[in-house]
Amino acid sequence: MGSNEHTTVQTSPKEPSSSSEFTTFMRAYQDMVFSTAARLAGNDAQAQDIAQDVFIKAYENFEHLRTSPAAGGWLKTVATNLSLNYLTRYRKRWRFFSEESDVPDVPVPDDAPGSLDADQRQSVIEEALRSLPPHQRVPLVLYHFEDFSYLEIAQQLGVSLAKVKTDIARGRAALLPVLESHGIEGGGE
Amino acid sequence: MSDPLELEVSRALRQVPLRRAPPSLESRVLAEIGRRAALPWWRRSFARWPGPARLGFTMTCAALIAALLAVTWPWAPDAALAGAGARAAGSWLPWARSALTLIDVARELEAALVRVVPLDWLYGAMAAGALLYTALFGLGAVAYRTLYLNTSSAGDFPS
Repeated sequence: MGSNEHTTVQTSPKEPSSSSEFTTFMRAYQDMVFSTAARLAGNDAQAQDIAQDVFIKAYENFEHLRTSPAAGGWLKTVATNLSLNYLTRYRKRWRFFSEESDVPDVPVPDDAPGSLDADQRQSVIEEALRSLPPHQRVPLVLYHFEDFSYLEIAQQLGVSLAKVKTDIARGRAALLPVLESHGIEGGGE
Repeated sequence: MSDPLELEVSRALRQVPLRRAPPSLESRVLAEIGRRAALPWWRRSFARWPGPARLGFTMTCAALIAALLAVTWPWAPDAALAGAGARAAGSWLPWARSALTLIDVARELEAALVRVVPLDWLYGAMAAGALLYTALFGLGAVAYRTLYLNTSSAGDFPS
């Protein structure tokens, strides 16, 4: 978990201990929530909004969450659902106003692969994921990061199982050259 | 997981650590919580209203709906019951009489319009309105695709 610049804001004068407890709780989970939202939304600004909504919901349910061992799972589920809601909200508009064939391929750098440190690897992979069109990125992220099955993804996104498999396969195929070009292999460094 | 491509990508992605949340996230959340806490109860979500206020609001809404139904009852099939309902509502809701009068005036105006203007013209005007609306929507879509989409990243949903 990352340590962020901490600002303690007294949200409820009547419950100072609860407020600081919530701040501690938020610090423990904010990287996970933000990562989930950012990978699904493909947009950091939107991910911040989603993460904010997740923690507002967490605050409203903090009485239950503060002692629950499943708090992390709850937050991850809410982050995933809110991200999908966001994507669903815009998907119809997206389909109407755009054509999927307009989506460009993920750019593959020309330079030779070098040894990347962990931060660079993360940056390359996150950037490659962000470059994927949403209809490939979202099922890919749900499958590989959130451990959804193909069927669960199809149900969540309201698309056919075949489309999910095709989109994930195309997403992987688009990612692979980027990973290889940077010398990133599945086995690690 | 037998597909080599799937294995390869899966292994690479699983090594990716969590992203660091922006430092501003925590203060944003706390500020929003503070803002919401400062709101008066009637500006919060209905689920967070005090019990008596929720009950009062629900009963007021039910009464208003009942009054509205009573006032508009004349258009229901049972005209006798309708008239009685309207009279009953009008007797204890003076403003309901005014609303009823307004609805009557609107209906008379509509009837007069149908008498004076040929029906074909009215249908034509409605079709022209729909056509103009569609054209405007189409123009908006073309403008969006031309002016906005070409300049935005493919990975981002338009917001």
